[in-house]
Amino acid sequence: MSHTSPEKNEAKPLPSRFQVGKSTLYFDNFMNYAIKIGGIGVIAAICGIFIFLTYQIMPLFRGATVEFEQSLDLGDLKISAMGIDPWSQLPLFVSPDGTLNFYDIVDRDKDYNRGLFQMDPGLPEGMEYPFTRYSNHEDSAIFGTADGRFAVVQVEFESTHPDYRGREVIPKITTTPLFRIGLENGEFEEIDYVDAGRSKLAVAIQRDEEGQRRIFAVTFSQNQPLIGDPVTVRDREFELSDLFEGEAQFLRLTGDSDFVIVGTDIGELHLLARERGGFTNRQTIQPFAGRESDTIRSMNFLSGRLSLILTNEAGEMMMYSIFHSEEDDHRILGRTKEFQPALPTGQGAAYFSHTPRNKAFLVGGPNYAQIRYATTEAIRWDGDLNFTVEHALLGRRYDRLLFVDTENHLQIFTVTDPHPETGWKAYFGKIHYEGRTEPEFMWQSDGDDDFEPKLSMVPLIWGTLKGTVFAMLIAVPIALLAAFYTSQFLKPEIRRLIKPVMEIMESVPTVVLGFLAALWLAPLISARIPSVFLIILSLPMAVIAFGAILANLPIQFRKFIKPGYEFLYFAPFMMLTAYFAWQMGPLFEALFFRVENPETGEVVGSFAVWWTETTDYPVRLRNAFVVGIFMGFAIIPTIFTIAEDSMTNVPQSFRSGALALGASRWQTAISVILPTAAAGIFSAIMIGFGRAVGETMILLMATGNTPIMTANPFDGMRTLAANIAVELPEAAQGGTLYRSLFLGALLLFAFTFFINTVAEVMRQKLRDRYKAVE
Amino acid sequence: MNDSTETLQQTPEITRKEMDNPDKTDFRQDYISFRNYNFYYGATQVLFEVNLDIPERQVTALIGPSGCGKSTLLRNINRMNDLVDGIRHEGELLIDGTSAYDPTVEVISLRKRIGMVFQKSNPFAKSIYENVVYGLRVAGRKKKSTLDEAVETSLRRAALWDEVKDRLGESAFGLSGGQMQRLCIARAIANNPEIILMDEPCSALDPVATGKIEDLIHDLKKEYTIVIVTHNMQQAARVSDRTAFFYLGKLIEYDETEKMFMNPAQKQTEDYVRGRFG
Ligand SMILES: Nc1ncnc2c1ncn2[C@@H]1O[C@H](COP(=O)(O)OP(=O)(O)OP(=O)(O)O)[C@@H](O)[C@H]1O
Ligand SMILES: [Mg+2]
Repeated sequence: MSHTSPEKNEAKPLPSRFQVGKSTLYFDNFMNYAIKIGGIGVIAAICGIFIFLTYQIMPLFRGATVEFEQSLDLGDLKISAMGIDPWSQLPLFVSPDGTLNFYDIVDRDKDYNRGLFQMDPGLPEGMEYPFTRYSNHEDSAIFGTADGRFAVVQVEFESTHPDYRGREVIPKITTTPLFRIGLENGEFEEIDYVDAGRSKLAVAIQRDEEGQRRIFAVTFSQNQPLIGDPVTVRDREFELSDLFEGEAQFLRLTGDSDFVIVGTDIGELHLLARERGGFTNRQTIQPFAGRESDTIRSMNFLSGRLSLILTNEAGEMMMYSIFHSEEDDHRILGRTKEFQPALPTGQGAAYFSHTPRNKAFLVGGPNYAQIRYATTEAIRWDGDLNFTVEHALLGRRYDRLLFVDTENHLQIFTVTDPHPETGWKAYFGKIHYEGRTEPEFMWQSDGDDDFEPKLSMVPLIWGTLKGTVFAMLIAVPIALLAAFYTSQFLKPEIRRLIKPVMEIMESVPTVVLGFLAALWLAPLISARIPSVFLIILSLPMAVIAFGAILANLPIQFRKFIKPGYEFLYFAPFMMLTAYFAWQMGPLFEALFFRVENPETGEVVGSFAVWWTETTDYPVRLRNAFVVGIFMGFAIIPTIFTIAEDSMTNVPQSFRSGALALGASRWQTAISVILPTAAAGIFSAIMIGFGRAVGETMILLMATGNTPIMTANPFDGMRTLAANIAVELPEAAQGGTLYRSLFLGALLLFAFTFFINTVAEVMRQKLRDRYKAVE
Repeated sequence: MNDSTETLQQTPEITRKEMDNPDKTDFRQDYISFRNYNFYYGATQVLFEVNLDIPERQVTALIGPSGCGKSTLLRNINRMNDLVDGIRHEGELLIDGTSAYDPTVEVISLRKRIGMVFQKSNPFAKSIYENVVYGLRVAGRKKKSTLDEAVETSLRRAALWDEVKDRLGESAFGLSGGQMQRLCIARAIANNPEIILMDEPCSALDPVATGKIEDLIHDLKKEYTIVIVTHNMQQAARVSDRTAFFYLGKLIEYDETEKMFMNPAQKQTEDYVRGRFG
């Protein structure tokens, strides 16, 4: 109910001289929106990159999914062991009657109409084989008779695509004769056999008549007859039972047939080494000493026959691997992993199966199963089973789980796990890789099937920081001092020349710098490191000396050196100093880096040898030092320009004020200009830092790209950015390496984002503090 | 105000002068002396044949329309113009008998002798305390008691002490415009110079602050030679002993202030001081 008179509301028409042109208004509005849209666009682009990168790496941090596929009735087939073909479609069942039975689970009765079929390996008929074992990785079955003999049945799978109807897998079988081993009437408990080309070894655990377990080894050799295939001949037999205390319960042979690993009923592990003419006990370990239970429940190799997964009665699980010990200079068995948490109570390791494709294995009890990844110790999947397991198998391609339950049903599950080797631990944790002596951070992506991919981001982050730190060590002092000198002391006419020169320097493609660094400077510098040291040492001293001379020069002489033109005298002086330092390098080297040639006893000066002898680190051609110099060169213009601007922009009144109070130019610069320009200087450094972090080409070309983690300035490194460039051609889209590179990119992105944000925040803070009141 | 003057007089730099010239009236009449002085910014001549003798321990005011070269003249005295590119001068500038541009003259020590207060106050981004002692610090004085004493004395003289004595450690940027200007004066006196140059020190100040600074100038005159540029005729009349009128880079008239304002010899001067200048 406002009560305003209509006349008051009616505004007088604005005189035209005060009116703003329509086009001006439109343009103003348009620009307003355009700028807004631009700004939002930039933010959206950054968010988009972030979201895209995150989306790409998400699968790396997911576990496996396991889904029920089908259940097949195996009727009254007697099963004592189980295996599968390399394509995970033709499971095979070893029967105690000496036959192998196959079931095509993909093409049950559609195309080839095979269903369950049997093959006879050609073992003597009418015999019982109370011991059977199938090694899924080697596609071989071992049959042990009741009278102390065994045979090895090698299965070969062939894949064909008849009539293009889908894969048909055809097994082929070769069988060795029955070989004698151990006691004639002993009951086999375990047999393992390794064929390492010329050297073959079989080891068996048997129970003698008193029920005592004894262990025997038989060596074989290969004879080449004049005509025909080589023949395997039984060589010698050894009894190993007395090499250790207790009774042998578990048994495995390493792939090179050099070692027999025995687990005993008193919970000990023995590494028996095969040596000239016999076996010796190399090492005795109590793997579960001090644990809830020290009794070994199971002992199995992962593929490669180098790493053992051991479990105890309490379901605790650990891994022992054979690796080269630095201390004893021979191979030992050592604990490399511990898997937490333990298996659920009552579900201790009743079965174990691994895949040759990676380091995953299936382990579990009657009603529970889990898939673990050995490298990262992570549980990829676990679940309760609604049947009771008799036999279990992890598909060769890590794509299926197969169980035979107590009702002789084959229960088949599919496994989907595209990136089993990944996870937080894989990227950021210290991992004891197979064959290595200790837990490490490692990047080594080019792993094939027998080889664990090593995906740690830590060496790359380290390399990035190392490169950046060296570059900053070179660039920050030079760029800041140059900016300081240029803005405070140099004549403005010359100052105007410096800027374009710096811009040219900035626009030099880094690939050119990298090229120069790798091909010209690297060989030059690595041969004359002492010279470089001398230069680095002598230049600041020369500066101080020059200053001292200048300051003590009587005023009559000093007046010839005009303020702002000191560099005319200074620059040649510095160049001469640098030249002398460079020339003095070899002398310096001969005097201070003396090493003795071990062969001739001659004492010579050699920095490289001296460095290696004193620090144990090598001196490499392409190293962080060279990279630092060139990367420094690349980022000097960035730091210089921003820092110089911020120093020049300090209000002239500050300078006048200080000078009028009798401060020298130097005092003015230090006490007034520097603090006021601190914000700009700080952000110059940070932006330079950000550039160094993202720099790729120089590092790619001049570091050697070895992903090692040392602080040694004379060794190379690999940075996150260079890593992406190096590995990209190898990375199949959607693969683990591909996504790992995206993770590297995300880290890089987050890193630079963080640095720039910190730089900006700090700059605002400092700016507020030193803001001049105008 | 009186007791602070006494403290200041106890410092040796001040008493030295008095021992040299025990007779206070026997001050040099040509303490700062421009002789046929021409000054150029690049190709533009700004000062033309200036002949000016500024007496010791008096206040000399420089007046004249904008752009006539007052600041340039002032900035020549402590060689602040050295910072400018392409400057050139002809003729002589003597300070206490020695040429300011003699190559053997240390410009730094020259500037220590000559304090300057700028048109726009320009405290540093430092605390009030540090602003005042800046000149002493760059001269290498470190003793805390000396510095403390100098701060109190100069702030008292600049009539700022009571307003800031409780926040000496705070940033100088927290002060008001007038306080900042007085801080800049304090900063200049803390150096114990012989000459103080003031370039329109009150142009940004209210009448109260202006009054305080004028009192201060009056007071400082006992020990310092003061040259002040001002556009305010009343101010020139109030504070100065002698006045120089410049027009287009030339010194038109220079005389006792009273004479300049009451009975100027030149028509231009009369027009200017009467405010009849077109
Ligand atoms: N740094 C400089 N470079 C070139 N010319 C200058 C410079 N400073 C001043 N001038 C010129 O010299 C002349 C005198 O300037 P100056 O600042 O001395 O005048 P002023 O009398 O102080 O004037 P105002 O009363 O406005 O401060 C002006 O014409 C000005 O444009
Ligand atoms: Mg002026």
